[in-house]
Amino acid sequence: MSSFVFPYFHNYPPYFTLQPVKETRDKQVALWCSLILQYCQHTKTFVLDVQGDSALFVNKGINRKLNTEARVALLDELVVQGRAEWMDKGKTRCLIFWKRVDEWAAVVTDFVRTYGLSDSVMTVDELSNGDDVRGTELYGLHPEVLTRALKLLEAQGKVRTFKGATPEELGVKFV
Amino acid sequence: MRRGPGIAGLQHAVRTKEQYKVAGEEVKKNTLQAMHEQLAAFRSNLEEFARKYRADVRRDPVFRAQFHTMCANIGVDPLASNKSLWASALGFGDYYYELGVQVVEACLASRSLNGGMMELPGLLRAVNRRRGAAAEPVSEDDVVRAIKKLRVLGGGFDLVTIGGRGYVRSVPGELNLDKNRALEAAQARGYTSVAELAAAAGWTAGRADETLQALTREGLAWVDDGAPDGARLYWFPCLSSAGGSAAEEQAAAAAAAAAAAGGGGPEQSSPAPG
Repeated sequence: MSSFVFPYFHNYPPYFTLQPVKETRDKQVALWCSLILQYCQHTKTFVLDVQGDSALFVNKGINRKLNTEARVALLDELVVQGRAEWMDKGKTRCLIFWKRVDEWAAVVTDFVRTYGLSDSVMTVDELSNGDDVRGTELYGLHPEVLTRALKLLEAQGKVRTFKGATPEELGVKFV
Repeated sequence: MRRGPGIAGLQHAVRTKEQYKVAGEEVKKNTLQAMHEQLAAFRSNLEEFARKYRADVRRDPVFRAQFHTMCANIGVDPLASNKSLWASALGFGDYYYELGVQVVEACLASRSLNGGMMELPGLLRAVNRRRGAAAEPVSEDDVVRAIKKLRVLGGGFDLVTIGGRGYVRSVPGELNLDKNRALEAAQARGYTSVAELAAAAGWTAGRADETLQALTREGLAWVDDGAPDGARLYWFPCLSSAGGSAAEEQAAAAAAAAAAAGGGGPEQSSPAPG
């Protein structure tokens, strides 16, 4: 994976302080939210840890980092946009939909069509970690996100799911 | 001519004076006439020159600047009126109008990030980017002329000099002496603090604080609470290359998006500041 190229604003200190003036803050938040989605897509990150020292929130080069309040504010905005979901009430971990659930559903459908998998059965684990998906977009997909995509496809009548012993063993048959 | 004695002599003198006066008027009239004719010839030569060199004037910023200087020296303003012979001979009306629109667009695109102030070289880069590689290049001189024409629009477009450097301002609102002083203090590193400004300007902390807060409210300054010693810093995107670049990046992205959307003509800039 090539290294991520951060935009100019990531190198400009005041962007790491949540701005008090609304018009300025709105613009700042918009830029950060775009960056979060792009960074997560590039690094295939599905869960952001608010307290973590990710290169996203910290710029050692200019000795600045977003504080917790700012990080929560940005992720809250992504939640409003339907691009993220808090995984706990304490807002410490956030699931990031850099592709929306329906977009992931389309990726699954494409995969099934490309590899002629109609009528086959696979588990969630195989669909995200198995040898068959190595090298495809599905590899490394977070099981929670994949499960939602599959449920969406089930509602559309494109797959049938059945419970396994564990969530990873949830089975799906492509119709 | 001798002044004869008596009334006859006086009448003679008066008549002579009259004749001189009439003769003088004649001379004056002839001279003025000659002058008018000369000026007319000169003007027509100049317009012929403009037509002949129109392509060079449009293509070469240096030649263009020299042309303007020559016109200024003889008291001619080729930009004076859209409808003038100049405008049609040179096509200047369109040229500077179009440039003015591009200046406005570049300013608006980055306004929410730099508060409506841009360093002239930065504006020049943004405008040239908008024009694209195939277009005739513009110089800082051209941009300055366009901005001066834009002044009549109101809306705050104007040139501002701070610490000897030129900026374009695109929002109304006074850049009063205190704010100017603050910008000057911040110019060296692109940021300042209440303490630093107070020391540099010889003000009370209160006055420095008020000025910096006013500049922040107007969007010209961004606050930074992440400095190692904890003191709040005020950064001015229009003054520093990183901040200016962030704003320029935005402006470039907006221009690219507009071009991709099949733009000809001015597009809606995002987002409209309140």
